[in-house]
Amino acid sequence: MTCSSTRSPFSQVETPAVGVSIEKLSKDFGRLKVLKEVTFAVEPGEIFVLMGPSGSGKSVLLKHIVGLELPTSGRVTVDGKDAAAEETREQVRMALVFQSGALFNSLSVYDNLALYPREHRVANEAGIREKVMHALQILSLEGTARKSPSELSGGMKKRVAIARALVMEPQLMLYDEPTSELDPVMSATISEIIATVKEDYHVTTIVVSHERELAFGIADRVGILMGGALISLGPAAELRSPQDPRVAEFLNPKIDLQHPRFKNLET
Amino acid sequence: MNNLQQTTRVGLFFILGIALIWVTFQTLSGGKIFREKGYSLIAGFESLKELKKGDEVRMAGVVIGAVEETRLAGRRAEAVLRIHPEVQIKNDATATIVMAGLIGTNYIGIDLGTPGAPALRDGAEIRTKATPDLTAIMTQMGVLGKKLEGALGSISTAVTGDGKTPGLFQKLDKLVSDNGENVNATVANIRQVSDKLNKGEGTLGKLLNDPKLHDDLVATVNEIKGTAAEAKTFVANAQAIVDQVKAGKGTLGALVYDDTTGNDIKASVKNIRDISDKITRGEGTLGKLINDDSTLRDAQAIMKKADRALDGLDDTGPITAVGVVARGLF
Amino acid sequence: MKQITAILDGFGSTWLLLVRSLSYAGTLPRQYRRFFEQCYLIGYTTLPIVAILSFFIGSVLALQAGYSMQNFGTQQFIGSLVGLSMARELGPVMVAILLAGRVGSAITAELASMKVYQEIDALVTMNIPPARMLVLPRLAATLVMVPVLAIIADLVGWFGGAIVAKYTAMISIEPEAYFAVLRRYTHFKDVLNGLIKAELFGFVVVLVCCNIGLNTRGGPREIGASVTRAVVVSLILILVLDYFVTQVLMPLQ
Ligand SMILES: Nc1ncnc2c1ncn2[C@@H]1O[C@H](COP(=O)(O)OP(=O)(O)O)[C@@H](O)[C@H]1O
Ligand SMILES: [Mg+2]
Repeated sequence: MTCSSTRSPFSQVETPAVGVSIEKLSKDFGRLKVLKEVTFAVEPGEIFVLMGPSGSGKSVLLKHIVGLELPTSGRVTVDGKDAAAEETREQVRMALVFQSGALFNSLSVYDNLALYPREHRVANEAGIREKVMHALQILSLEGTARKSPSELSGGMKKRVAIARALVMEPQLMLYDEPTSELDPVMSATISEIIATVKEDYHVTTIVVSHERELAFGIADRVGILMGGALISLGPAAELRSPQDPRVAEFLNPKIDLQHPRFKNLET
Repeated sequence: MNNLQQTTRVGLFFILGIALIWVTFQTLSGGKIFREKGYSLIAGFESLKELKKGDEVRMAGVVIGAVEETRLAGRRAEAVLRIHPEVQIKNDATATIVMAGLIGTNYIGIDLGTPGAPALRDGAEIRTKATPDLTAIMTQMGVLGKKLEGALGSISTAVTGDGKTPGLFQKLDKLVSDNGENVNATVANIRQVSDKLNKGEGTLGKLLNDPKLHDDLVATVNEIKGTAAEAKTFVANAQAIVDQVKAGKGTLGALVYDDTTGNDIKASVKNIRDISDKITRGEGTLGKLINDDSTLRDAQAIMKKADRALDGLDDTGPITAVGVVARGLF
Repeated sequence: MKQITAILDGFGSTWLLLVRSLSYAGTLPRQYRRFFEQCYLIGYTTLPIVAILSFFIGSVLALQAGYSMQNFGTQQFIGSLVGLSMARELGPVMVAILLAGRVGSAITAELASMKVYQEIDALVTMNIPPARMLVLPRLAATLVMVPVLAIIADLVGWFGGAIVAKYTAMISIEPEAYFAVLRRYTHFKDVLNGLIKAELFGFVVVLVCCNIGLNTRGGPREIGASVTRAVVVSLILILVLDYFVTQVLMPLQ
């Protein structure tokens, strides 16, 4: 590795960012229809932010992209390959930052980060150490390397999860609510990290979030998922003056104590 | 706990396990070690009875190998014996299936054979002798015992009398006291006879003096089993004789029971010396018994026959069931 | 109907997991650390309980045998009874049951919690197959450690029987006599027979416990349910398999 020392120790080999295409994706869990014919595409190198209320099926959608869930109907492709196929995970490096972090509780923070490069023999132990420490440094986690995940706060876990994803040097990076549970400054930091990572590694990024600032700050395009259907899709700028009342309501909810929403709920 | 320590413990633990398995193997399957070394012999039997793979092969009680395989070969059963390489087995040695206990553990006993005979080679067939099984022996022993009891009862009645008729002894007593003088003369003759006996002449003499014959007799007695069949007929004969005696038939019967004959005897008792003389000269049945060698040969033949049947029990190693019973009985 | 499909599903997924794990057998050398860690957990830490239990099983076997055999005056054969029962049946079955209770339940709990807290999903997205990283080292460690546990169980059980035989008044058999009879009637093939059984049971227990853990669905509550199911299924499988394996191994004597 002959890269300049000011840059990250991550490999500088150009691995092209991959595009994601979702065609008429539907998913049922028993009688519950979670996704209804969702169709959209994410260009290589793009930052796509997926917004939507809780329970609208955002996490389920992300799981389809990494192949953890299989579509009831429709198709998800990553770089033209079927996301449901196991080989796709071998050919395309994808990282998913889980909503809950999903850290390995039996391993220290350092070993959590080192697991992927060790298992795939990306570098020798010294090289791995450099990568891991760099990732921890980006997320100001140097002090936690020897700690066990159970000793960390919720926000720290989330950052460790992001660091673990960074160490994978993915071509496709998926974040599931990376800024929830974080204080405003830390969520701004995370937004900056997401953008920087994309700049530095030309990674395709899909972020699930309901934070407007994040969406307006870093998104190339924003999609809004509601009740399992995509109700809005377009550049972030369009959302500043939304046409659809549901979108407007979702983005700028007014707290109206005279007509509380929960009394109007249909069911 | 650091990793090296853990690895070391696991390693030690594993080695301990392997060592224990090895020790168990060594301790429990001594017989199997012969499987690698040594040579094999084939022993054919009419039936292998309870013999099974892994049973011991012993010579004079010493374990010298194991039964490697049991199989059917045509109309007989064969046991393949794996023998320790340092043990030589003479080609006239005989293998028998021996029962070591009442609960059915068997082994193959091999006798020593004659010292000069050549040794058997790998794959050779060893001579075998069939041995009857325990249950048959036990049944025959029972029958034999009953018959002996009956026969002895009859004999003792004949000898001592049953109260009404005087027994042999009373009659002899009377005979002797009536003919004291003549008896005296006879005694001289008898002395002559006993001298003969001492010198080993005649059947009885041989019987008393010939050690080989004596040994045969002892062996026969100890190893009742084979004789059982003969003994049965023998006992039947003995009984018949005793019955005849009782019925007053035959010389002895007449002598003992028949008063007319008794009187005749009395009358002719003067001639008893002549009878004794006759006996000495080997005339008459009793004379023959005492003087004739052919009777001796017959007796010897019978004993040999019994002996051969019993040879299977010759191995000295273990206490066989028969041995136990025989020793208890005799 | 639902239960039947669930059982078939269990069989199918267990086989699949086995095939998957074995297909990664080549990666075992570089997973040696995990392998040794599992050896340590499955073998070394299970030893004390195996030793204690087999000691008392051997003892109680001798006691019961002595009690019933005194009716026939055949106490001197206690060695053969304890020797054979321990080697052929009780040693392997007991090791397997302890393995299910002590190791299998822990495996299921660990894997189930990894599943519920999405650690398994994380592994899958990292393209690290759980069968390779989590199941294979455990299966390999089981294969290596179970014979060691089983032989120790046999020997300790025999020893326990010897002590009872000597110090129980109604038996009173010297250890020399006890072991002489034991040696005479217990052959290495009996011990081997038991080791094969133990190996098979242990392997099945660990495989089944892994599978049930990995197939846990739902929340943390399901972890406990999975552990219970894993232990119950393991115990049933041990005893059912025991019958059939004994049937198969008998004629091979
Ligand atoms: N494995 C599952 N089984 C059954 N229902 C599920 C499962 N995963 C998600 N759901 C349901 O799908 C809906 C969408 O969930 P999710 O995608 O997690 O929502 P969110 O948009 O908040 O991430 C929810 O109603 C949830 O209950
Ligand atoms: Mg979610």
